[in-house]
Amino acid sequence: MAALDAGGAGFEVRVQSQAGAPIEDVAVVLEPVSGRVPQLKAQVSIEQRDREFVPYLSIVQKGAAVNFPNRDTLKHHVYSFSPAKTFEIKLYAGQPAQPVVFDKAGEVALGCNIHDWMEAHVLVVDSPWFGKTGADGIVRIAQVPAGRYRLRTWHPRQKTAAAAQEVVIGATPARRTELALDVAPREPRHKPPADSGSY
Amino acid sequence: MPWLKLERRIAVVFVGLVVLVMLLMLLLVQRSGEHIVAVESQRQITAGRMSFEALVDQNRRQLELAATVLSRDFSFREAIATQDRPTMISVLQNHGSRIGAHAMMAIALDGRVIADIQQAQRPGEAFAFADLLKAAEADGRASDFVRMADDRVYQVVVVPILAPVRIAWIVMGFPVDHAWARGLAQSSGLDVSLIDAAAGRVLASSLPESRHAALAQAAPGVKDMSGELVLDGDHYQGVALPLGQQAWVILLHSLEKSEAVFKELEQALLITASGGIVLFVLGSLWLARRIAGPVNALAATARRIAAGDYSDPVAVKSKDEIGQLAASFENMRIGIAARERKITRLAYEDTLTGLPNRVRIEERLDSLGPTAEAAVVVLDLDRFAAINDALGHPVGDQLLRQVGARLAGQLPPRAMLARLWGDEFAFLLEGMDRPAVRAFAEALLAALRTPMEVGGQRLDVNGSLGIAFHPADGSGLNALLQRAELAMYEAKRRQCGFMLAEEVGPGPLPEQLSLIGEMRDALEKHEFILHYQPKLDLASGCVIGAEALLRWQHPERGLVPPGRFIPFAEHTGFIREITPWLLAEVAAQTAAWHAQGLDLVVSANLSARDLLDPGLVVLVRELVASHGLPPAALCLEITESALMEDPTLAQAHLEELAAFGVKLSIDDYGAGQASLAYVKSLPVHELKIDQSFIRSLAGSPKDAAIVRSTIALGHALNFAVVAEGIETEADLAWLRDIGCDIGQGYFIARPMAAAAFVDWIAARDLAFPGM
Ligand SMILES: [Cu+2]
Repeated sequence: MAALDAGGAGFEVRVQSQAGAPIEDVAVVLEPVSGRVPQLKAQVSIEQRDREFVPYLSIVQKGAAVNFPNRDTLKHHVYSFSPAKTFEIKLYAGQPAQPVVFDKAGEVALGCNIHDWMEAHVLVVDSPWFGKTGADGIVRIAQVPAGRYRLRTWHPRQKTAAAAQEVVIGATPARRTELALDVAPREPRHKPPADSGSY
Repeated sequence: MPWLKLERRIAVVFVGLVVLVMLLMLLLVQRSGEHIVAVESQRQITAGRMSFEALVDQNRRQLELAATVLSRDFSFREAIATQDRPTMISVLQNHGSRIGAHAMMAIALDGRVIADIQQAQRPGEAFAFADLLKAAEADGRASDFVRMADDRVYQVVVVPILAPVRIAWIVMGFPVDHAWARGLAQSSGLDVSLIDAAAGRVLASSLPESRHAALAQAAPGVKDMSGELVLDGDHYQGVALPLGQQAWVILLHSLEKSEAVFKELEQALLITASGGIVLFVLGSLWLARRIAGPVNALAATARRIAAGDYSDPVAVKSKDEIGQLAASFENMRIGIAARERKITRLAYEDTLTGLPNRVRIEERLDSLGPTAEAAVVVLDLDRFAAINDALGHPVGDQLLRQVGARLAGQLPPRAMLARLWGDEFAFLLEGMDRPAVRAFAEALLAALRTPMEVGGQRLDVNGSLGIAFHPADGSGLNALLQRAELAMYEAKRRQCGFMLAEEVGPGPLPEQLSLIGEMRDALEKHEFILHYQPKLDLASGCVIGAEALLRWQHPERGLVPPGRFIPFAEHTGFIREITPWLLAEVAAQTAAWHAQGLDLVVSANLSARDLLDPGLVVLVRELVASHGLPPAALCLEITESALMEDPTLAQAHLEELAAFGVKLSIDDYGAGQASLAYVKSLPVHELKIDQSFIRSLAGSPKDAAIVRSTIALGHALNFAVVAEGIETEADLAWLRDIGCDIGQGYFIARPMAAAAFVDWIAARDLAFPGM
């Protein structure tokens, strides 16, 4: 959980499936309808640990620089062909020299050219107020200044994009917002055992 | 040729069995061949189908693998991500050529074609097989057989390009063409064909081009196809599998290939069997000949034996069954030869005397020819039956043998002597004229005159001869014998030794001839019997005598009336055979009655022949003496006519008899023409008035007068007068009243057998105790 705590009123959303099951890793973003958006200075890392990207989903404000520290003893080759940010960090170990700056809002899918099953998503947004649901399907966005916002949700495997809706945030904490989302299950991908030593 | 049949039959049975066995074997091979081919082809199809499916799956996996590898290609993904079409196409071409995939496409997630190596110029069109994409979306990948824009069928796979999320699809496909079919055919061992069932088209096939048309014809029914399919005359076992949306795969197994093995086997068997049969035919012919050969030789011998040739001994060459058979044949040949000799002897020889028999002499006569001059001389012994009866058959037989021997001693050259039957012998004389034959007859009679010594007894044997000449008196032995026998009887009657047939004339009627023969038998078989009719002393009413009357109890004709055979016996002279027997019987019976206390005088009738026979007196003497009878117990009745045949000789014989003491009676007096003067001179004791007078006594006063005067005359001449044929009490009374001495007739008693006679007297004594 990497939520900004900018003070002010908190905003809570709970996302569940049609069947009522909580949905994890749903990005929830509040974009102010008008007015200036402050730029956060935040340090974001997407680790490669145990041949997986951790976390699966990262939400960053436009312009954020993201580090890709390799915690494994083997090398990875991180890439993205997404239009929002195309890059690759060829075979490396440890901490790459330069973080990657996501300077364009949009969805970025990350993969490793060596390990096909490795997958991570970065949602680049133009707002500092965002969060992602936990295992209970609940996300709390704290210290959102009162005002009118467009509430947007996104999930890497959502079947249809949910329409944005306007919400008004006052001085007092609002009631939790309930949302429903149709999400495909994560495709199982073959991951060979680590101790085989074949990579 | 019968032996060929045996030979052929043996060969046919053997060869037939072998052919049958061979046929059964061939049939079995064919049947099991068919079965094995069917099972084998089914097995091949099952295995081939599995192999085919595995190969198709392997192809799919190969495609998938290649597509997956491609989908992970970084630079390809980069090209996709950057919409770099030239790079994409070049990568697709490169990968496609690596594994021979002729269809290579990249499809966007929205289903539009991004790149297609076959249609590089026209990107952006929608991918034709949306279903395939849908299936790939659901399952992560998909595969199928599809008809592409080039009208060819491909086995295609669709795999996603992941970066790491799906960014596009790769479609990769192998062409399904003849080469594909041939490749699969080679691996599966089945012919592989892909057909478009709807269009009736062969899309691909491992079969030669020439069969595609025939295969296409089978296309419409392919869904239901099972079992056999005939293409161009070749038989296939097949199975149809759907492949993709419209196409069907037909897997065919050629039965010809499997059958060929069996065809070869059958052919080899057929050749072997034919060869075997030929060998068998030859072998069984050889064997049959070996069996039939000796059998044929035996058959030939048997035919010779059947034809009467017993001279060749049967060769016994082996010890097997044939050899045993040959040995049996040899024994049979010897046996038959011996028996034939015996039979011939029996057939031509008289067993008693060893002389030729009637058959033999007949053959000899027949062999002379119809014009040959020959004479048949028949000799019959006189009184042989009496000798036989008196001295017994053994003595009779001995006598016949001696006579035969003696006659044989008289045989001139070129003559044959045979015993015909009984005491009758016959000579066949060749080339002798009548004087010579007469001289021979005299010589024979002279030879017989010497008495015979039989069983220590001297016997006087006389015979009579009859002579017939061939061809003058007839042809054939029967005719000649008949004439000669008639002449012989005539000679017997006349006591003249021999007569020629031509002097006697043709004989009696056939019926009488048979009677002669039968009388001979009757005497031998004792068919002649005597019945006795009582003679009553009219004055006292006592039975004082009986008349013996000859009866013939014929086995078939019954009781033959005396009138039917006695005159004939007299005429033929046969009576001379009967009378001695009759007298002997009468003497014996009289003696028996005397022994019982019945002092009867028994009368016997004599014919003229008997009376003229010089042996009569001797015979009577012998009989009276041998039975110890008083001579007066016998009465001999002689008819008037018998007396008149040779009155002088008759008188001489009667006087001898009378001197001996035998009573004499004139029978049937009044019927003949004997002069009273002659009768008066005879030493006779009794007159018997002819029955015809007595029977008409009541109705004819004239006859009564004759009877009355005859009685008076008889008494005047000192004769006892007998009336026979008395049938009424009135006649009896009348005769008694006029002084007739003795009565005889049905009213008193019928003639009866000797035993009944005694009973009758006993019964009469009870009825008239006073008499
Ligand atoms: Cu990696």
